[in-house]
Amino acid sequence: MFERALNVFWVLLGAAAAAYAWTLGIVGPAGPESGLFPLIAGLIIMGSGIALMLMPSQRAEIFDFPRGAALQRVIGVVLGLAWLAIAMPYLGFAIAGVVTMLVLLRAVERVSWTVSLGLAVASVAAVSWLFGDVLGMALPRGPWGF
Amino acid sequence: MDALGSLGAGFAVILTAQNLYLCLLGSLIGTLVGVLPGVGPLAAMALLLPVTFTLTPVGGMVMLASIFYGAMYGGSTTSVLLNIPGEAASVVTCIDGHQMARQGRAGAALGIAAIGSFIAGTLGIVLLTFFAPAISAAAIRFGPPENFSLMVLGLVCTLYMITGSPVKGALMIALGFLGAAVGIDVVNGRERFTFGFVNLTGGLDLLAVVIGLFGVTEILANVEQIARGAPLAGRIRNLWPTLADWRASWRPILRGSGLGFILGLVPGGGPVTASFMSYALEKRLSDTPERFGKGAVEGVAGPESANNAAVAGSMIPILSLGIPGNPVTALLLGALIIHGIQPGPLFMTQRPDLFWGIVASMYVGNIFLLVLNLPLVGLWAQLLRVPYYILFPVVLLLCVVGTYSANKNVFDLWVMLGFGIAGHVLRKLEYDLAPFVIAFVLAPLMEQSLRQSLVMSPDGAMILLQRPVAALLLAASALLVALMFRRKPINGGGSP
Repeated sequence: MFERALNVFWVLLGAAAAAYAWTLGIVGPAGPESGLFPLIAGLIIMGSGIALMLMPSQRAEIFDFPRGAALQRVIGVVLGLAWLAIAMPYLGFAIAGVVTMLVLLRAVERVSWTVSLGLAVASVAAVSWLFGDVLGMALPRGPWGF
Repeated sequence: MDALGSLGAGFAVILTAQNLYLCLLGSLIGTLVGVLPGVGPLAAMALLLPVTFTLTPVGGMVMLASIFYGAMYGGSTTSVLLNIPGEAASVVTCIDGHQMARQGRAGAALGIAAIGSFIAGTLGIVLLTFFAPAISAAAIRFGPPENFSLMVLGLVCTLYMITGSPVKGALMIALGFLGAAVGIDVVNGRERFTFGFVNLTGGLDLLAVVIGLFGVTEILANVEQIARGAPLAGRIRNLWPTLADWRASWRPILRGSGLGFILGLVPGGGPVTASFMSYALEKRLSDTPERFGKGAVEGVAGPESANNAAVAGSMIPILSLGIPGNPVTALLLGALIIHGIQPGPLFMTQRPDLFWGIVASMYVGNIFLLVLNLPLVGLWAQLLRVPYYILFPVVLLLCVVGTYSANKNVFDLWVMLGFGIAGHVLRKLEYDLAPFVIAFVLAPLMEQSLRQSLVMSPDGAMILLQRPVAALLLAASALLVALMFRRKPINGGGSP
């Protein structure tokens, strides 16, 4: 069911991309326009989607969606990354990174508080040193300077 | 003998304490950035470019070039151990390299990768030394129609490595084209697929896309598996390649060397295309293609050799013609110009010390890299012993830092996350992610070549059939497509 819905999505996406590309122009007086290449891409997506809809599925019909603890872990990782993206500009990499690791280790992996805190601080410090000091990459800093 | 004499002069240039130190330093940094996910040779070279201003042109170029080929060595490490490509040319190494690691053969995969890289790198430099003038003359004859046709052939070849449906592969390629079209059209400055969103005007960042598809997706897949009680890896055994591994690998290493060198020569080729095409070639030539995707050592030996040979090949157009074939060599070109040197056909005769010094440094750097990498194979393999609950948050941090550091833009983290989730879902539905990435990388070059080709001729697209080489390449692509749909589908395996 999920795969069929995805195939319909491909057809709609390809059609929308091709239609949008058409508005950009395909070929003008000066030669090919901005829409030519996206139009080709959109048509291939639409055609492939139609082909996949018509072809018999080569895989199990049931989408192997994670459940229970597996789902919790997957959601934990996604939320952890989302939190980092939101918090990093305000809290800086160090604090946002430690909080993310702490939450992932505690809530997702059920590691003890002491080990979680130690691992979080050590990992963030190591990554900050390597990228910030050794490779000279400017990582976001919080109002407290790190 | 002229080439040997000039090479001897090049060794005289490179065999000084400072230049050897810079070569070693560049090799180490290259290996490091190759190992670290999300920090590619391009970022490292860009970061270190200002450092070279204080060095002699020879020293600066030697260091930058050694970062480039050092990253090819190091890139295989995280591909094998973590299923995260250290840099784009190691994407394909994930497929069988990581499967070998999961079977307790991480050491064998890394050993084959290092030695194959050394052999291919050396063979590539030998070819560069003796055939540079003739090969560069042939490569410069390629115009936009030939480049476009060559890239079409490259993409068709990537479809060959797909373990599942070629229709899904074609769809992923088209999605890659569409993803690459986001942003400002460089030809006329028109915005495409940005919908007024400022962060999209610069396009989707390659690093964010690659780390999302290959880093985050892998983490999501692994945390899900662990929840079901499936450990990531057992005890590490067979740290060194066996005799059987060598027997299976020597031909792929030689084929990868030749293929990589040729693909390195032409624009749009380079290490990434070389590694993908080598994988496709080895799979096609194999008597047991069903082993590919399940830990076939040939799937590591060929691509890893090809990407190193491609580095040597890609140095020819840049050094002798001043034509960069990929972003990394474009940066090298910029470094030469900053140092007041104009690369081009006269470069070899006007600055033989620099040209042959760089060539000689590649021989030396290759030996440094073998010495640095082989004894460290065991050390890298120990990473698999770290419990995954410790490893994955650290890898997650590396993904975040690697993605963020390219543009210092938090929006790239959202792109990474989006592609990570999409990649996880698509992998479950047996979509191969590699064609997306290769198409995403090639799309700007392909579009440019196509548009230039259409402008060149009053007959429009017919120019692609009127030029013999372009027509031949397109005919080969059509033949491969026809053969592909006639072949027996190969089930199993997986994408990285």
